[in-house]
Amino acid sequence: MNTFVTETVSILTNAAMLFVVAAGLTLVFGALRLINMAHGSLFMVGALTVASLASGLTGGWGFAVALIAAVGLCAALGAGIEISILRRLHDREPLAQLLATFALVLVAADLAQRVWGTSDRTVATPVAGRFGVGGAVVPEYDLVVIGIAAAVALGLWLLLTRTATGWRVRAAVEDPETLSVGGTNLALLRTSVFALGAGLAGLAGAAIAPLESVGPGLDTQIIVAAFIVTVVGGLGSVVGAALGAVVIATVEGLGTLWVPSYASSAGYLVMILVLAVRPWGLFGTPDR
Amino acid sequence: MTVLEEKIPPAAARPAPRPAARVLPLLAGAAVLALLAAAPYLVTVSAILSLEQVAAFAVFAVAANLLIGQAGLVSFGQGVFFGLGAYTVTLGWEHAGLSFWEGFALAPVLGAAAAALIGLVALRARTLYFALITLAFSQLFYQLVEQNTGFTGGANGVFAPVVPAWMESPVDGYLTLLGIAVAALLVLWWLYRSDFGLLLRASRENRARVQALGTSVYRLHLLAFTVSGAFCSLAGAMFVVYNQGSNAELFDWTTSGQAVLMSVIGGMYTFAGPIVGAFVYQFGHDWLVRYVSDWQLVLGGVLLLVVILRPDGLAGAIRRPGRLSLSSRLNLPSRPRGRR
Amino acid sequence: MARFNTQRWTGLAAALLMCGTAAACANAAASAGGSGGAGVGSGSGGTVTIGESTTLSGSIASLGQTGLQGVQLAAADIDAKGGLLGKQIKVVSADDAATPATGVSNVRTMLDADHAVAIFGPVASSVASAEEQVTNAQRIPIFMHTSNDIGLTTTTYSKYVFQDVPNTVMEPRAAADYLATQLHGKNVSIATFAPNYSFGQDTVAGFVQALKAENVHYTLVKQEFPPLGATDISSYLAAIESAQPDYVFNAQFGGDLVAFTKQAESYGLFAKTKVIAMYDYSVLQSLGSAAPTGAIGFDRAPYWTDENSTMSAFVSEFRAKYGDAPSEWAILGYAAVQQWAWGVQHANSFSGDAVSAALSGATPPTILGSRQIRACDHQTELPEYVGTVSAQAASSSDSTHLWDTPAFEAQFDQIDYSCAQMTALQK
Repeated sequence: MNTFVTETVSILTNAAMLFVVAAGLTLVFGALRLINMAHGSLFMVGALTVASLASGLTGGWGFAVALIAAVGLCAALGAGIEISILRRLHDREPLAQLLATFALVLVAADLAQRVWGTSDRTVATPVAGRFGVGGAVVPEYDLVVIGIAAAVALGLWLLLTRTATGWRVRAAVEDPETLSVGGTNLALLRTSVFALGAGLAGLAGAAIAPLESVGPGLDTQIIVAAFIVTVVGGLGSVVGAALGAVVIATVEGLGTLWVPSYASSAGYLVMILVLAVRPWGLFGTPDR
Repeated sequence: MTVLEEKIPPAAARPAPRPAARVLPLLAGAAVLALLAAAPYLVTVSAILSLEQVAAFAVFAVAANLLIGQAGLVSFGQGVFFGLGAYTVTLGWEHAGLSFWEGFALAPVLGAAAAALIGLVALRARTLYFALITLAFSQLFYQLVEQNTGFTGGANGVFAPVVPAWMESPVDGYLTLLGIAVAALLVLWWLYRSDFGLLLRASRENRARVQALGTSVYRLHLLAFTVSGAFCSLAGAMFVVYNQGSNAELFDWTTSGQAVLMSVIGGMYTFAGPIVGAFVYQFGHDWLVRYVSDWQLVLGGVLLLVVILRPDGLAGAIRRPGRLSLSSRLNLPSRPRGRR
Repeated sequence: MARFNTQRWTGLAAALLMCGTAAACANAAASAGGSGGAGVGSGSGGTVTIGESTTLSGSIASLGQTGLQGVQLAAADIDAKGGLLGKQIKVVSADDAATPATGVSNVRTMLDADHAVAIFGPVASSVASAEEQVTNAQRIPIFMHTSNDIGLTTTTYSKYVFQDVPNTVMEPRAAADYLATQLHGKNVSIATFAPNYSFGQDTVAGFVQALKAENVHYTLVKQEFPPLGATDISSYLAAIESAQPDYVFNAQFGGDLVAFTKQAESYGLFAKTKVIAMYDYSVLQSLGSAAPTGAIGFDRAPYWTDENSTMSAFVSEFRAKYGDAPSEWAILGYAAVQQWAWGVQHANSFSGDAVSAALSGATPPTILGSRQIRACDHQTELPEYVGTVSAQAASSSDSTHLWDTPAFEAQFDQIDYSCAQMTALQK
């Protein structure tokens, strides 16, 4: 019973973080047809920003302020990148866009090292308690992370189904040509979605910072996991991202319990398996 | 008459190529080859050693470009075969007592076999999903090799005196690799010029049309994937001469990405583009890392400029001098366009 | 594609020619620039070059960077006192991005173009093995001061290789020795937690073997091997939690250990279990006030346990120049340069053969004290230190929690392989 509770909480926490990261990546792909390799870099910037600010702002509210600042900064950076660089490439083949974002990964890694240095930082956990369920221990902050992911899921659902902008984003995923004929400013939409994706990456980084060591290398650590989840769920689908996150987190979590030596390869194996059976991911559309 | 026969006039009606057009490229190629062979007398020892690396990467990039530029299959997984080739040589020496040349000969065979198996699965996915599934394979192999310390040496790699002593001399090692590279590239060039190559490029332009002609595009691509895998493994085996051994990172997506970078920088729509790309990238990267502390910034910046301004890469830009990024705006038919 | 495009091929040939000429010119220029004034041991005045190719980007960048700082400071200090054999020391450095091929390239350029007379080692052991092939072939001494895999002084070893870091055999043995002194024959349950690659696996295997050798009564209740650099280890932690061990031996280091500590703290692991891990200065500095009080740390060169005056002087000097206390990598890097310089002085030459011969079996004085460089494997006979993390911050200005003093010193001859064992492995 103990193991069950602890395992479930840890899987949900892992899934929560993966979902927030993957949701941004999948939305950007859906609306812009762009695989953003720099998504991991934005994750890292979010974490580093919180690490810098949280030392000055203490307590739970201080952390919340730092988190909001990190999200804002990443969204702004995302908008800047889209306007200055990605806009020039939006009608080019996917490889060119992918390589451009890869170039940005290199640039971002260097600049982050210049600004924040090479040593690892930590962020004080804003909610440091834990409570027992039966004999199992559940850290309170894990529940905060799960809560953040749930809020993001709810917010995205409301945005995409209840607002006009959301409808436009979904239309852009399905059929951009017709959308532009209808008078929508596609360029503004693209920039907004990219900024939203960037903000989500920053949010994930900021939320997970108290549980990690924050330093260089965080960008490459997260990006491959983000790709796996996004692809398994299907590029462009937020529901897919949620399901993919749960699947991957479950496989990894159970893997560490049952076949520890192969648990780290589990994610890749699942991705290959899913794509072999359904070559466009669980919720993806076949023509992309 | 079929649609295809309507478009291409019969051989007799086509104008014969001018004699000069046939001889000049051969002369140019011969001149470059002569220069490279004479390099030991022209440049420093460290340049010769870097050229060893370039020889291996040139074969790697051209083999990868068989998929990326020729077939339109962007693969981020060619590192699997590169690493496989390198490890065949080193592990063959360490565990099976194979000599360097025996391992070297075995490398492309294993590469082809692995590529056939991986291709069966990976080619079911299209475009971006294909790129990502090959990336997954790359990372999977990297993980498996890194963790299996007993057999593969794990994260430490396998560094041993596997390379024959006479090849340790920079000049001898370089000239041998140059010879092997030229031979491999000639085979790949022959493939490029053959009907197989033509069909491959046609499938990049319009998959449905080629399928309609009666060719199974899946099988065509699988064949291309297998050939590419074999030559990527050959390149990996060549690389052991420079690297002094093999390490797990040769499998991961950064190595695979290097092949893509070299193809794009050099020009992925030509045969020799990746060779130029390998040359420029390797010398550029080594020089940057050694002399510029913010090398990642410079490398990223240069790559960004190449992607934005020179979409056809260096070799492509030479093909159309002076027309910066107009080719992307003018929708010229020689560049493949449209949703793929 | 039946017709050749003349322009394209001529253009291509021209491009290749240009690139080739440019590369050749660049290399010729670089080598011409470096060839002046690096005469081996002849005359006075001029400079002599030493090189360090190490990891300066990515997740292990701080190890490489602080190590390089130690090397640079040592060279600067020697220059301030008049240089070495009348020459000023120049340090050239490059980032290897933890890639062996890049490390090999860097070292080759440093040897050929910069005429470096000694190389100082990288962070990653795989890069170190590859570099050793190059330096061995060119008969240049290489001083490892961060990477410490035992293979470096056995399988790829030569007389030009020097190692001043306690190797992968010594550390777990030191931890086991310390544990033996604390337990006095009590029976305990132990779990292990190590990154899933050769370093982690070797360290854990070494620890378990040493426990047996020390006749410690233990039961191994859990062994976890998370992948290197895994971001979320909560499932692994949950597994450890459920086994309820008395001690957890953790072979992680750097950022991974920081992440482990943060996540383990959220589970309240430190209240129930004593964790033994590499709680060195960098890790403790990152953790700040979140450092696990009472946890057991082992370190290769903790500056605060060494009260001698040369170490204190070095610490103040390092702080003044770089704004931080020195990490173990900086200390070991500084000591390695001191050893090399001593070898040069005593051989009165910069040649690799002379310096290596002079240092083999010698006892050069360094900031780590006067330690012998063992002749059979050129391992500096350093102890490994084990201590408990303190409840108090180091000072009012530095929130890092160091160790309670005095720390346990596991003596070299108790924890390393004997010369006979090393020579057997070198075959």
